[in-house]
Amino acid sequence: MSLAPEVVARVEAALGRGGVISEPEQLRTYECDGLTGRRVVPALVTLPRSTAEVQAVVRICHEHGIPFVARGAGTGLSGGAVPHADGVVISLARMNRIVEIDLESGRVTVEPGVTNLAVTQAVAAHGFYYAPDPSSQQVCTIGGNVAENSGGAHCLKHGFTVTHVTGLEVVLPDGEVVYLGGKGLDNDGIDVMGVFIGSEGTLGIATRMTLRILRLPESVRTLLAGFDSTSQAGAAVSEVISAGILAGAMEIMDRLTLEAAEAAVHPGYPDCGAILIVELDGNAIQVEDDLARVEEICRDGGATTTRIAADDVERALFWKGRKAAFAAMGRVSHDYYVQDGVVPRTKLHEVLDRIGELEREYGLRVGNVFHAGDGNLHPLVLYDRRNDGEPQKAKELAEAILEACMDVGGSLTGEHGIGTDKACRMPLMFSETDLAVMQRLRQAFDPESLCNPGKIFPTPRLCGEVPGPYRVHPLELAGLADRF
Amino acid sequence: MPTVSEPASVDEAAAVLAEASARGASVSIGREDGDVVLSTRSLGRMLEHEAGDLTATVEAGIRLSKLNARLAQAGQMLALDPPGDPTVGACVAANLTGPRRHRYGGPRDLVLGATVVLADGTVASAGGKVVKNVAGYDLGKLFCGSHGRLGLLVRLSLRLHPLPAATRTLVATADDLDEVYRLTQLLHFSSLVPSAADVLWEGQGSRLPIMFEGSQRAVADQVDRARELLGGEEGDARVWEESRARQGAARARLSFPPRGLVQTLAGVGEAVIRPAAGSAYVPDPVPEQAEAGALLLAERIRKTFDPQAVLV
Repeated sequence: MSLAPEVVARVEAALGRGGVISEPEQLRTYECDGLTGRRVVPALVTLPRSTAEVQAVVRICHEHGIPFVARGAGTGLSGGAVPHADGVVISLARMNRIVEIDLESGRVTVEPGVTNLAVTQAVAAHGFYYAPDPSSQQVCTIGGNVAENSGGAHCLKHGFTVTHVTGLEVVLPDGEVVYLGGKGLDNDGIDVMGVFIGSEGTLGIATRMTLRILRLPESVRTLLAGFDSTSQAGAAVSEVISAGILAGAMEIMDRLTLEAAEAAVHPGYPDCGAILIVELDGNAIQVEDDLARVEEICRDGGATTTRIAADDVERALFWKGRKAAFAAMGRVSHDYYVQDGVVPRTKLHEVLDRIGELEREYGLRVGNVFHAGDGNLHPLVLYDRRNDGEPQKAKELAEAILEACMDVGGSLTGEHGIGTDKACRMPLMFSETDLAVMQRLRQAFDPESLCNPGKIFPTPRLCGEVPGPYRVHPLELAGLADRF
Repeated sequence: MPTVSEPASVDEAAAVLAEASARGASVSIGREDGDVVLSTRSLGRMLEHEAGDLTATVEAGIRLSKLNARLAQAGQMLALDPPGDPTVGACVAANLTGPRRHRYGGPRDLVLGATVVLADGTVASAGGKVVKNVAGYDLGKLFCGSHGRLGLLVRLSLRLHPLPAATRTLVATADDLDEVYRLTQLLHFSSLVPSAADVLWEGQGSRLPIMFEGSQRAVADQVDRARELLGGEEGDARVWEESRARQGAARARLSFPPRGLVQTLAGVGEAVIRPAAGSAYVPDPVPEQAEAGALLLAERIRKTFDPQAVLV
């Protein structure tokens, strides 16, 4: 679809020709994000260089009733940045300046197109770092992190993006600019910033953000333990948590992902059914004390081998295989689908057993690599699209895993977001009323639903007429039965 | 005379609000200025505590002291330590924190999920009870600092922390704001990991209590190193009681960039300062700090949740 020529002319006048993409071949670059299965070519792509230019584009869209979708690096895995066919993509890639480094306050102010890793790189020489570390941190942007409330392996101890953002400049869907928070952590009034972070680009466009940076820990130690099974490794995780140890990260990989990682990047993992990587950071003596305890827990829990990284080189090697796990799956399977679900940590082994049953039931293999410390599973459903019906079967298996997560009181997504991918699954976790109340919030920001429409919320158009089955919200299960 | 209502279930709370809004009565939560004064006094139960998950689900009316006494049996805590003994719902609604927000964050960082009753009696849940979850709008966070104007918080799922094996406090001293700032910056640029670091500002002889938590050995190490860096003497829990009491007696909170501590506090004779958070609790009221656009947006949100302005 194309926009009315006068609209395109107005946008061009605001941004200059270099700030607008309208050639069909070039528009195709923006047709999807990391969820490559959903592709929609936008009507126009804009590349603003400043808040004022973002504001200009949003105002034009608002006046003409044109949908718009903000986009960072396009690494999102839930289709949160999938364009609208009749709409405008607002790429923030050119807003990539680090505006201010305020070491004394422990704050860095950046534009949305700055990559996650660039924040740490900008302050590392001074002994600081930015804690949230999504796997895509080399390319993903802070703007996208704010939209998705991104986590990462180390959010177990240090929290998600929402814990590390102290201030936001936001262009609202009507083009107004508001400033939320600041450099202080305690603010008066309702926490609009708290709910904006993680709203998947549906409440406005953040154009500047102030982030909290942390002092680099004086000690980081990493332990790798080999177990016969993922259940054993999962049980060790529960033991570590019960022992009151706050690990920086706890990750599990199963045999299938170990094989793939070994073939791809040769991390030299032990030959076993599952490995657990535990990383501890902080005061050197505390880390030493905790490390000894973690090793003991792993041994008592049936670990066949335990290794402690002797130096940063070995530590990097422990992580290399973990970080390459998704990509390495290409070595053992033609195609794979990454699921993202969360379970209470005490239910890890129960759900892993269920995934094993589902593998047999569907006749497909599932690789399990996950943030065990916070119960965030990333099952990789392996399939081969050249085989008839297999993609569909893989999709169904992935859905069944999500249902297994919900059955034990978990969540539809720990970090990838709902986007377009899981919008139709929202009724598994939330009632119609819950969703209607969330929509009320959206109304306050965007009554015309122009800002990233078609995301998060199930619509008949997106999901067909039949909504999925509603399951009791975990909070209801925990309490007295009631629902209006 | 206002009617006092103390619902004992979510159903009852919803019925009270639905009825009040239907007849055009005003309702206040935690304050006494509505036609109906709604209290969560009878909504104070612990509903679930999964020790292995470090999570708990509670009714919003449970007092911090009661909750933490229960959690302590499993060696855990909700790491909120505001002055007094508020309910967990009040901590969220008023965005209350204490000295240990330095390490553990505030209600926003500890609330995993919430069930709320809106002014018209609608009951809705958001978030979840797992520690990691990004499904849907996180309304629990929106309700942080809502002061009862968006709806009634009835149930909360919370992130817990293990109780530390050891806790020790060092108290440094400073005679003027420049010295306060110098010491807090030394701490900020060190690799020490305190759980709390306050300034009890009162001019000459001001104290800077710093709390360390962890294993016996690690805490001893940190106290020794902090003493070398900042001077001072070892203190005990009383200094934190004093800090919380003075915070509780304060009538306003200033929010400032941590770098602006000296300028912000210049001319202020007395305050409890949390330097890393950029917060100072001061005896005298201060003007509203939020930006006008943000206030308008907050008001728009309030109106969509409570269009009839039932909640006052």
